[in-house]
Amino acid sequence: MRRIVTILMILVGLALMAVSYFRWAAPWCATSVGCSDPRLPWAASFVVLGILIAISASIFYAVYKGDD
Amino acid sequence: MTKYAMAVDLDRCQGCRACMEACKIENNTPQAVFWMYVFRTETGEYPDTKQSFLPRPCQHCNNPPCVKVCPVGARFRREEGIVLTDFERCIGCRYCEVACPYGVNYFNWRQPMAALEAYELDFTDPDTSAVTGGVIPSYKNPDLDQLQGEEQRLTAGSAHNVGVIEKCTFCVQRVDKGLQPACVETCPVSALQFGDIEDTDSPLSVYVRNRSTFKLLEELGTDPSVIYLGGSPPPSDVREIERPLTEVTS
Amino acid sequence: MTAETMTKRELPQGVGMLTPGWLAFFAVAIIAAVAGLLAYTNQLNQGMIVTGLRDLGTVRGAPWSLYVAFDVYFVGVSFAGISTAALIRLFNIEKLKSVARMAELLTVVALLLAALAIMADLGQPLRGIVNLFRYGRPQSPFFGTFALVIAGYLFASLAYLYITSRKDAARLAERPSRLRGLYRVWAAGYKDTPAQRQRDRLVTFWLALAILPLLITAHSSLGFVFGLQVGRPGWFGSLQAPAFVVMAGVSGIGHLIILAALVRSALRADRRITIDVFAWLGRLLLVLVFTYLYFTVVEVLTTIYQASATEQGLSDALLTGRYAWIFWGSIASLLAAVAILGWMALMRSWSVGWSVFAGILVNVAAVGKRYLIVVPSQTHGQLLPYGTGSYSPTWVEYVIIAGLFALGALMIGGFMKIFPIMPMEEGE
Repeated sequence: MRRIVTILMILVGLALMAVSYFRWAAPWCATSVGCSDPRLPWAASFVVLGILIAISASIFYAVYKGDD
Repeated sequence: MTKYAMAVDLDRCQGCRACMEACKIENNTPQAVFWMYVFRTETGEYPDTKQSFLPRPCQHCNNPPCVKVCPVGARFRREEGIVLTDFERCIGCRYCEVACPYGVNYFNWRQPMAALEAYELDFTDPDTSAVTGGVIPSYKNPDLDQLQGEEQRLTAGSAHNVGVIEKCTFCVQRVDKGLQPACVETCPVSALQFGDIEDTDSPLSVYVRNRSTFKLLEELGTDPSVIYLGGSPPPSDVREIERPLTEVTS
Repeated sequence: MTAETMTKRELPQGVGMLTPGWLAFFAVAIIAAVAGLLAYTNQLNQGMIVTGLRDLGTVRGAPWSLYVAFDVYFVGVSFAGISTAALIRLFNIEKLKSVARMAELLTVVALLLAALAIMADLGQPLRGIVNLFRYGRPQSPFFGTFALVIAGYLFASLAYLYITSRKDAARLAERPSRLRGLYRVWAAGYKDTPAQRQRDRLVTFWLALAILPLLITAHSSLGFVFGLQVGRPGWFGSLQAPAFVVMAGVSGIGHLIILAALVRSALRADRRITIDVFAWLGRLLLVLVFTYLYFTVVEVLTTIYQASATEQGLSDALLTGRYAWIFWGSIASLLAAVAILGWMALMRSWSVGWSVFAGILVNVAAVGKRYLIVVPSQTHGQLLPYGTGSYSPTWVEYVIIAGLFALGALMIGGFMKIFPIMPMEEGE
């Protein structure tokens, strides 16, 4: 249980980071108005959230009062 | 597809700086802020000196370093080539200012009213109207408070907020209405031209055709929209003369 | 609370004990911090015109200076914590264990100060906080700094600090004290079983391993903020990212040496923070300073040999012109530190006092070098014929920076009063 949730948190965190960075945040261009807006509003906060979730997995692993 | 550009004919420019004044009046820029600037430079030693003049608006680069570095997308480029700043989104980090090779950015270091009051003339003052004869219109340009373009952002005019960056906008509030930028309109010798460079029949395209041209700092890869005709890029040993007031005095 | 009113099982390492010395430190630090806050409110009210910052171009000023330089500096200081923690964990260096927690704390505090320094630099700080989350653009190097450094690096260091401190919190929660409630929450049900210790070992190993690449990318992204700007001679280049990583190490380890010595003296902890700690850190610092000097030599030689006209002017200003005193002063500080550390390493005889002096020297050099990275490329780096510019800080900038240092000192000093700064020993 502990391991599963930890790995899940890491994967979810990394996935959220990757998706929000590459697909939701503003694209890597400088030639039109669309380049200045995120494709999903508040996308940058999801990148940060993904990082926080992935790192929190370590805290979960250490703190979880479960099996063993 | 419209693609705006400006041509600067250095063979015609006489360094009168009327364009700087027109820009200031049109865009309500405060003291020491020169969105349009004209270098008056000199090379050689007396008596063999040679003067040259170089108008320097924002270059509205097609590969703009300022747009790339803006962390919040306040500085952006329209498809048609004009590079603008959203004064309501800008967080005042001044990254665009340090990224710009041309030094065209100005930051609002002080509260707007303090900036404008620094030199805003009171046209009702009897001493002033004695000189102006009541002819000079009120200074504040009402077009500048409007949101501009399809993107509907506050991008025209100067000194809207403290702590944001600004620069030449190619007079976006005028261009969107089909007018020419103030500097182009004012130049007494038509040294400045503005228009659609993609349209081969536009006055601008006709003007630059078959002329030798250069762009400033071309080797940096910024691909500016300002095309210089006649003359040559400023050499590195040139010195500036007749600088305008460049420091705020109050 | 005096010694008489404490029970036998008192809180260790001066926790909860407000000594006169500590109170004096607190008074000075809080005055400085409040002064910094007042200076900042002055800046907010009047606009940044109260600083010495001015526009590039026709105004011939420098829009980036002390705030940005110290932001880079503080991020640099943060290198210490996690690199020490990683060294201890990944290479099992028992000798450094006593300074592990203060190193991690130093990282966390330094990153917070870095974030505040950048906030002080924003023209619209509140908008900055909201808009970075709302509109943040990955193409901007600032995004990397913001997301990787502040979010990733800071949080990872906090996680590391927390996980390694739970055991002590659990032990302290068993004793009667005013902070018992805090320790209970902090410990979050920690039970000191072999399984738990194994878990902690495993998770700290992987966390340390994960933080190392994060450290490299975080400091590199800060280097990219400068190194990608084609329009700024002296900034543009691929050397910036690696140089920032190395310089970070120099100021970070230097700070850690100073902090370790202060704690050792304040808590009379000679037995725990042994001379071996300083020997280890001193040797690491020596290697890092050598590497940084190497980078500097490469940079200077390249520019002297052949460079664009503007870069030559910039180089002249650094080597013989207006900035020469800062440049040569910093180089001299680094060389003096090399001499001191090298001598001690060669003689295999380390002294705390000389190590601290070396730590101070490298940090003075670090501040000087940061300033030289940020300012000269603006005043002497104009590619159009605007001429050379100038910049001098005003009292507002000095006081805000001093306030930031004071705040950092308060955070560390405050931490020491609520939690043991060194991992508790068996008998404590």
